[in-house]
Amino acid sequence: MSDKVNVYINSKRYQAIKGEPLLNVARRNRVDIPALCYEESLKPYGACRLCLVDVKEGAKKGLTTSCTLACSEGLSVVTDTDEIKKHRKVLFELYLSQAPSSEKIKDMAARYGVFATRFELKHQENDKLNSKCVLCGLCVRTCNEIMAAGVINFIGRGHNTKINTPYFESSDVCLGCRACLEVCPTKAITIEDRSNIRIMASWSNTEVELKKCAVCGKYYAPERLDEKVDSLFYYKDKDEKLKDMCPECRKKYAAKKHTLIVKGEAEKYAK
Amino acid sequence: MDKRYIDKILSKYNEPSGKLLGILEDIQEKEKYLSKEALKYVSEKIGVSFSQIYSIATFYSFFNLQPVGEHIISVCMGTACHVRGAVEILNNIQYLLGVGVDESTEDGKFFLTTEDKHFSVNTARCFGCCSMAPVVRIDDKIYGYVKIKDLPKILKEYGWGKK
Repeated sequence: MSDKVNVYINSKRYQAIKGEPLLNVARRNRVDIPALCYEESLKPYGACRLCLVDVKEGAKKGLTTSCTLACSEGLSVVTDTDEIKKHRKVLFELYLSQAPSSEKIKDMAARYGVFATRFELKHQENDKLNSKCVLCGLCVRTCNEIMAAGVINFIGRGHNTKINTPYFESSDVCLGCRACLEVCPTKAITIEDRSNIRIMASWSNTEVELKKCAVCGKYYAPERLDEKVDSLFYYKDKDEKLKDMCPECRKKYAAKKHTLIVKGEAEKYAK
Repeated sequence: MDKRYIDKILSKYNEPSGKLLGILEDIQEKEKYLSKEALKYVSEKIGVSFSQIYSIATFYSFFNLQPVGEHIISVCMGTACHVRGAVEILNNIQYLLGVGVDESTEDGKFFLTTEDKHFSVNTARCFGCCSMAPVVRIDDKIYGYVKIKDLPKILKEYGWGKK
């Protein structure tokens, strides 16, 4: 059973589940805290530092990241002190220099009143991530923790850190699931579908074959991903036909089958 | 690459996943560098993804990912050494050995090897003897208070300029 606790954000009371990240509570209640590296389904990481809050009571006092701050009874934080604004400004300036091509970062920074950076813009030649990557690590963590594929990771360190496949060679374990692109806060990743092949342009041009729907002929999912899902998926009526269909056709097939069964004409559909 | 010696190294560690750094260190001690095949084999054996192992190997400047020369020269680029002219020392070593300037590899590591595979040059970040700055390490020996005019003498100890 989950314990409910009361937390206070900017002196307003909110209900939270004991131990959940404070940022979660803030987002649920539309309290504005910026963040780039937070994703509810992943473990808190505390990389982007943008979600700073000032703890007044209930935990170690002072500035801390709200994504790694666990809720407890009576926890009280403030989200907009002058000190936080000052730190946030520097952070946004650093992000503007790190990802000069990212409109998302520009918009986000502008929303918090930062329009220019005093740091050198990091425009790199042949950057596979289009000078938009802020190294928040969401794609890396999603690929490792959720998809359990481990295709990409950080390479190098410090100023030269990159994210890519090992040895910058096309990967033979990539599922082609696009989860990295979905989760990327700056949409830095490029993935193209070319008829029956999905090309992960950002990940050393890794190519993944797509599967064709047996009914409508549409390419709907990467082969490897489909295999993996199939191995986990439990077909209720063990109907092998469902296996090679795209989601659309699956829906139609299942509905039709169901109505026929209801009518008592199931044999009709067995063809 | 000989898989047997890697198996031997792995068998020393009873919980291999937590001992990755130790394993990589042992492999490097034996092979002098970490080959792609070795990393792949370790990844399969201990169940840590290949990308993760590559990430760790590129993070630490201690690991070499390319075949190395007979003697490895590490020039310290830490703060103290930098202030006392490490850049000049490095440039002069490169000049003396005749290896290219600023040819860092795609993974961002600075690593140069002479054509005859006798010397490799890389940079390091502090050996913990800043009082002796600038410091150069050749194989396991540390040279402190290095002056540019001393460099030929030091390199000759390792067979430089014989040909």
